[in-house]
Amino acid sequence: MRLFDAFKTRGRTQYPAPDRDHPPSRRSEHGHMAAPIEELRQSRDRLFSRFTKGEILETFLEEYTELLDQYFRRSLQDSKTGHRLFATKRPFALVALGSYGRKELCCHSDIDVMVLFKDKIPSTASALAEELLYPLWDLGFELGYAIRDIRDCLTLSNMDFMVFTSLLDARFIGGESPLYLNLLGNITEKVITKKSLTFRKWIEQSTSGRMDAFGDASYLLEPHLKEGIGGLRDYHNMLWLARVFFDAAVPRDLEVMGALSHAEYEDLRKNLRLIWLARCHLHLLSGRENDRLLFEYQGRIAQRLGYRDRPDFLAVEHFLGELHASMASVKSLQRAFLSSYPPKTESARKARPEMKSVVPGLRLINNEIDFIKPTDILSRPVLLLEIFEKSAKLGFPLSLEAKRVVREFAHLIDDGFRASKDTVQMFLDIINLPQAFDILDQMFEYGLLEAFLPEFRDIKNRIQFDAYHVFPVGRHALQTVRFLKGLSEEKDLLLLDILHDIANPEPLFLAALFHDIGKKGKNHAVRGVGITAQILKRFGYDRDLQKEILFLVRYHLLLVETATRRDLNDEKAVIQNARVIGNVTRLKMLYLLTWADSRATGPKAWNEWIANLVQELFFKVLHVLEKGEMATPRAKKKVNKTLFQVRRLLAGKMEPSDLDRLLEPMSPRYLLETPARNICHHLDILAGMEKIPEDPASTPFHMETKQKTAEESWEVTVSSKDRPGLFSDIAGTLALNNINILSAHIYTWRNGTIVDVFRVTDPLDPIDAERIWEKTRKELKDVFAGRLILSQRLEQKSQPSILKRKKAVSRPPKVRIDNVSSDFFTLIEVFADDYVGLLYDITRSLFLNGANIVIAKIATKVDQVADIFYIQDLEGQKVLGEDHLEKIKEALLSAVGPRPAHGG
Amino acid sequence: MKKIEAIIKPFKLDDIKEGLAGLGVKGLTVTEVKGFGRQRGHREVYRGAEYQVDFVSKVKIEVVLESGLVDDAVRMIQEKARTGQIGDGKIFILAVEQVIRIRTGETGHEAV
Repeated sequence: MRLFDAFKTRGRTQYPAPDRDHPPSRRSEHGHMAAPIEELRQSRDRLFSRFTKGEILETFLEEYTELLDQYFRRSLQDSKTGHRLFATKRPFALVALGSYGRKELCCHSDIDVMVLFKDKIPSTASALAEELLYPLWDLGFELGYAIRDIRDCLTLSNMDFMVFTSLLDARFIGGESPLYLNLLGNITEKVITKKSLTFRKWIEQSTSGRMDAFGDASYLLEPHLKEGIGGLRDYHNMLWLARVFFDAAVPRDLEVMGALSHAEYEDLRKNLRLIWLARCHLHLLSGRENDRLLFEYQGRIAQRLGYRDRPDFLAVEHFLGELHASMASVKSLQRAFLSSYPPKTESARKARPEMKSVVPGLRLINNEIDFIKPTDILSRPVLLLEIFEKSAKLGFPLSLEAKRVVREFAHLIDDGFRASKDTVQMFLDIINLPQAFDILDQMFEYGLLEAFLPEFRDIKNRIQFDAYHVFPVGRHALQTVRFLKGLSEEKDLLLLDILHDIANPEPLFLAALFHDIGKKGKNHAVRGVGITAQILKRFGYDRDLQKEILFLVRYHLLLVETATRRDLNDEKAVIQNARVIGNVTRLKMLYLLTWADSRATGPKAWNEWIANLVQELFFKVLHVLEKGEMATPRAKKKVNKTLFQVRRLLAGKMEPSDLDRLLEPMSPRYLLETPARNICHHLDILAGMEKIPEDPASTPFHMETKQKTAEESWEVTVSSKDRPGLFSDIAGTLALNNINILSAHIYTWRNGTIVDVFRVTDPLDPIDAERIWEKTRKELKDVFAGRLILSQRLEQKSQPSILKRKKAVSRPPKVRIDNVSSDFFTLIEVFADDYVGLLYDITRSLFLNGANIVIAKIATKVDQVADIFYIQDLEGQKVLGEDHLEKIKEALLSAVGPRPAHGG
Repeated sequence: MKKIEAIIKPFKLDDIKEGLAGLGVKGLTVTEVKGFGRQRGHREVYRGAEYQVDFVSKVKIEVVLESGLVDDAVRMIQEKARTGQIGDGKIFILAVEQVIRIRTGETGHEAV
């Protein structure tokens, strides 16, 4: 054996044995002697800069490894200690470990080397390490090194599988090669043969440990490229297992030795390439060994890898989508690989496996589900879905072979399969199972989901580049299903209660799967409706239920958007939602979908704060739908018709956007109960009111009267700006003029505009009605301006008012308070005998007791009035205090009750 | 220097943010908060089970500005945050002793 082993590295360089007196040296390009470290620095910088420019991609890892190999070899040749060691018969081998051993060095990877001696470690060994390694440290390399003899290696390998795996990666760099071979032989003989099963278990445990520590890189938005599930470590596991179980020496052996099919191996290389490239750029950009692909780097890496922004999605989204797909593929390959090792021993294979037929075409072997004959699938394609269903129901995994079969057959799925009654029914069965998520997840992994639902392909790996979404769209859809299926474990019991109320939740589950299927740019909910409709049509799905699903897809953001962007104390926002939603069952499904969708989006999309708002909206809409007359289909239709007519009547007279601004503050009840023509008229009045402020200090107001000859009554319309007590002022002024109110609709708009429409009896002096109306108008104006004190004037004329009272049997008045029907108002119903001034008495009493009337419906039947007032306290909230309510009731009863005869 | 803390309805945030920017306010802090004032939480009954909601979700805005700007800012917030309904929120004005910009060490007006 020569002093220094002359070795070939792919035939590139061959170093002559060094001559101690004339140490060999190479000349740099400029003819100067360059120390190995200087040469390494220069060539490394050149390599990195070429890499950054995108000039070398395929071979970067190997070229970089090669540079370090060259450095070590040259340093060995220059090393005085090295020569001395060989001269004193203390041969050693320099061995690369870990990623350096695998020739997978990324830009800032740790470089692990070992100086290996046969038995005793000489005292000068550390001096050798210093000579070789110090220059690297000085250059900023991260180094790990060990000086061991063969026995150390074996002992450590048996104690610590981390050391063992680094030795599985061992690669000879220089020195005495038989030593290295000796080590390999010993490891095979003394560790591998004894520990293979324990090692396999360790791999399994460390994989689950990685899941806990680094998560699943195949969907996390900041994946850990090395340790995350689906990361490079998964690939290393395969290499190590292959080395342990069939002595694979190089990665290609995975295919050569039949552990992976040709296609699987090619896929693996392609996927690893992307992960490695991303990792190298990540190292360069972060300037250190950083394997967590943080947001801040993703955009630049995507650019460097040649991804470009497109109108429908960003470069970074495209990059992350492909990266996730690659990592998912590595993950799934590793899983399959892990489950197939150790291979069954010959005797175990011959022993009669525990076999059970499950359903025609499927069987259970050694607690795994398998196809009896894959060719059965040709005659019964539904088996492809059924095997997943049975697997979930029985709790046994698919066999490795079955997974392969599924993967292969996935390509054969055609329109016939997708529309077949059997397969569709099986799919629906699956979606209704408690384990639906697990099944879909498996189907997703094996490509079956996108084969069955090609619409899924476009969104499968689509990333949304923001801090909001944690999963790519496809996975997010599955997670949404998962949250719905896991409702029983939620602390919020309301959710489960709601689910139990839904007689047929199937549309909800399908909507959860499809809700983001249109996510290819803007307006994804609308786009999703078209795509979902296409799927459901193919399914031959029930027409009525189709509507439910399409509704949920279309409006899956409605509740969150309303809850965060609208005022939930504004009844109109709630009523608009109620009208869009239409019925209670839909609302319940929409609420659950909203919750699951938000939860599956990520922690930033859902927290107690948002939950609070959405829940508040849910209950308010629920109450409107359950109790209100405001959201019936009839009401919805009527309002839409009215709005349409108003727009048509005013078309050409004003800009649609201006009209919208005017329509916006109108209260829902006003829009429901007022004919289009009158709305236009009211808009005219309001425009006039705003133009001529007669007296800026007084309340602007407008009053007009119209005789309804057929009904022997008049219609009085008063518009003004709301303030507490306004209604009672109007009622009082009418009473002052002996005008009896038969009915009234008073509306308060969100901007404080009031529009009150009264139907009243003929004035006492029908001949000269106009004069009376003129007087009334003037008095009302004076009242508004504070020039006329109503209570005094009414007191003065109490005599005629008593005379005017009918003599019919007087029934005691009744007051009913309803605080349940509305989330926004306290409803007060008053039943009493009618008399002129009654309404004034009621409304004044309400005003004096701190109740603001927002809506009132006054109706007279024969001599009895039945009035409903929607009131709020002066804070704008429904009246909640029991004392306050009691006080209002008492005051009303005494205001309308039998009066003490006064004045005679 | 003064600090304005305003508790507002969540959907009013954008309006107020724009309004403050219009006044030349250069930075503000926004927090999602829960609490109650006159607008209490409430209790809902669903299928016989009671769901007590103790707190109402609101947004808190904090902004530090020159004393001279306070009146305008407060007026603006009040105007924009008002709906006339319950729960429009509150505005607090506090005196600020000192401001330090961490990066540069600037203090006082420079740092606002």
